[in-house]
Amino acid sequence: MTNKTISAHDPCVNGWSVLALTAPIAMGYIPLGTVFGFLFVQAGAAWWLAILTSVFVFAGASQYMMIPMVAAGLSVGTIALATLIVNLRHVFYGLSLLKKFPQGSLLRWYMVFALTDETYSVLTTIPESTSHKQMALVALLNHMWWVLGTVIGAVIGAQAQLALAGLDFVLAALFAVLTVEQWRTKKTPAPLWVALAAYAVAHLLAAKHALVISIVLSIVAGMLWQPKSVAVGEVHND
Amino acid sequence: MIDSGYVVGVIAAMGLVTFALRAVPFVGAQWLQKHPIVQRLGEFLPLAIMTLLLVHSVTGAALEHPGGPWPELLAVALVVFLQWRSRNALLSIVLGTCVYVLMRNPGLGWLTELF
Repeated sequence: MTNKTISAHDPCVNGWSVLALTAPIAMGYIPLGTVFGFLFVQAGAAWWLAILTSVFVFAGASQYMMIPMVAAGLSVGTIALATLIVNLRHVFYGLSLLKKFPQGSLLRWYMVFALTDETYSVLTTIPESTSHKQMALVALLNHMWWVLGTVIGAVIGAQAQLALAGLDFVLAALFAVLTVEQWRTKKTPAPLWVALAAYAVAHLLAAKHALVISIVLSIVAGMLWQPKSVAVGEVHND
Repeated sequence: MIDSGYVVGVIAAMGLVTFALRAVPFVGAQWLQKHPIVQRLGEFLPLAIMTLLLVHSVTGAALEHPGGPWPELLAVALVVFLQWRSRNALLSIVLGTCVYVLMRNPGLGWLTELF
């Protein structure tokens, strides 16, 4: 979501500085969690389901994606596939944390579960000397900020009536922000143009299923796609 | 009201998929590095999917009301511009949404005279 770099050169990280480390993340997670909770309830789902989602899924972009999909009643399989695609980037996060994480304990698997973009950015920048308990505390605090925001949003959403047309644009605005942040990290805007073309084709074919069709078209394009110069990592396939 | 049992099923599936993805490197790091197609999709898909979600979320409204898709195009352009320049997600979202709501509610036209 937001790109915040956290610098922590203090070799002795105690409980309070862990709290300070997650403060910039709280600034992002609480309002964005609130927006999620609000829109989820406004879409017509029970308030406790919004909280359940933030506790057990804990992945911002896919939770936002889920709202229009659940509202449209898409199948569980389709939503699972879309989640797989949106969260595919998480596959690469663990690689740089393999040795830092505690070995073979419940703590390890909780930290794997809670490895969001933001937690990843903190855990990869804190000093080597940080204890496993403190690392787990970073993950837990971030998880709590996200759930807290969701609770606030769900409570507001359960009471408020949408009186203004177009307030749901907030979701589109969020996707626009995420698109810009993805675009910034890429060497080429090709995936953006491919997606626009795919959606146009899918909308002409079957407007009702445009999203699913265009996702499939984009996966096919992504598999055939050959970056001009070797992209991120050492991919030797030319 | 959306059926709660269905949503619980969706939450379980999404939670499992997300956890599985985050756990992959801890289970099979070498397998990952051997498959260039995984890396290529990881590089290509996130931007493509975000673009699709953006387009999909405005298409419904853009075709619904008379007068063409101009409010959506303008508001999205504003959010993209703000985010590109400021990197402040909250600012971009709030300003973009306010401008869009103003465009969609002509009754609020008097507000624009303040600027």
